[in-house]
Amino acid sequence: MAEQKPFDFTEFFREFVTQWERDMDSLANRLMGTEEYSRTMNEAQRVQTRLQKSFSDFMGEQLARFNVPSRDEVVHLGESLRTLDTRLARVERLLQDLSWGDRNVPPPAPVPGPPRTKQPPSRSGANPSAAPSREDRS
Amino acid sequence: MSEVKGDDPKIAQQVRAITQRIIQRNIKGLEFLTASPIPVGLSPKDVVLSRGTMRLYHYRSMADEVYRVPLLIVMATTNKAFLFDLAPGQSMVEFLLKSGFDVYVIDWEAPTAAERGLDLKTYTQDFIPSCVRTVLERSGEPDVSIVGYCMGGVLSLIYAATHSDGPLKNLACLTTPVNWHGMELNRIWSDERYFDIDQFVDAVGVVPADFIQQGFEMLRPAQKTAGRIRVWEQMWNDEFVKSYRAFERWGNETLPLAGEYFRETTKELLWRNKLYTGELMVDGKSANLANIKVPVLHAIAEHDHICPETASKPLLQLVGSTDKEEIKLKGGHVSLIAGPSAVKRMWPRLANWLAERSV
Repeated sequence: MAEQKPFDFTEFFREFVTQWERDMDSLANRLMGTEEYSRTMNEAQRVQTRLQKSFSDFMGEQLARFNVPSRDEVVHLGESLRTLDTRLARVERLLQDLSWGDRNVPPPAPVPGPPRTKQPPSRSGANPSAAPSREDRS
Repeated sequence: MSEVKGDDPKIAQQVRAITQRIIQRNIKGLEFLTASPIPVGLSPKDVVLSRGTMRLYHYRSMADEVYRVPLLIVMATTNKAFLFDLAPGQSMVEFLLKSGFDVYVIDWEAPTAAERGLDLKTYTQDFIPSCVRTVLERSGEPDVSIVGYCMGGVLSLIYAATHSDGPLKNLACLTTPVNWHGMELNRIWSDERYFDIDQFVDAVGVVPADFIQQGFEMLRPAQKTAGRIRVWEQMWNDEFVKSYRAFERWGNETLPLAGEYFRETTKELLWRNKLYTGELMVDGKSANLANIKVPVLHAIAEHDHICPETASKPLLQLVGSTDKEEIKLKGGHVSLIAGPSAVKRMWPRLANWLAERSV
């Protein structure tokens, strides 16, 4: 007769968690997958968005009154600087390209790397499962 | 004192193991709570193109010889591309590099307020073509293979359909939704009778990351809690904890979305299902999937709750390719890319399919 396995609490706990997760997700999906839920959720979202916008506008006005920039303005300033930086880099690259054109020099050659001669395992006679195993990738 | 009898030594062993784990759980639990973010995306790479929200990485080769056709991986716009390169040994990029591919990845940064106007046209007619051009220039090759994941797959499909005479050699889509009406819960939650997309986008400009993350979490509300219970139970297991932390970091770094892009995706894809019906127009060009004639591979996950089979399955019927293949693998939306089954199943299948078509 096969030996009876002793009770494994760890395994029992893992299965319990998995089952609980499955049941909860299924229940939540049933409850939330209704038109009524969608209507309520979107209404709440709409109110929240409006409130946030009103509050943000109000704070912006108050800060302007004290001659202090709002967070949005500071962020906008930072973004503008970043955009300027990117544009400068692009202009710099264009100027470089133009100077290449003036000197009648060909565009940059492909970046050197290993030869592009590899053949698929089926054609090279190698084992198709020769892709590195987990152990190989230490 | 009573003596231990019969199979009691086994029970004693169990008790000893449980006690050891409780002690380790307490010691390592403290480390877990105080640890700084786990390093991710460690494979050596260079940023070869950067424009606003877009980054193009070129990974340094790990093979002596590579396949002729370079490979461009397009990440979903909602998340960071380090999912492809979570940790050494848990990295699709590393696997592909060691398998002999020349790998490029398009990653996304959070769009700024100034980028609120980015739309499907920007992503598919500007960003992806610019990256393709850069890949061709750097490799000196006339064609490229593209692998798109989730929404990255959708963008790749639109690019392929609108550039049918372009340099695309092969297209692999990983868990890519084409029939958006198949995403039942998302459709209900975004019901156009109740969800005022215009009011929402006009108010926020850029859709906050929290909003996107909540959308994902609502699909599996118990997943996060169950995950925390599991990591507490496995706290003694360093490998498990490391992997959990990497996935957790990835999930927490969900990206905001440009408002116009979100508006267009919701209206054209989720409400009108135009990718499926073939009516989608981008920049005046038809994005009918029947325009795609290159070899196509589609990998779908058996337990994908974000892009269920009903949403992804029709892809092969819709493309005009004759060389097309679907593989259905165990796992979920994320574990298909970086989970244990990805290592054993998805990566080798993808590498073999690409290898045959990359010479």
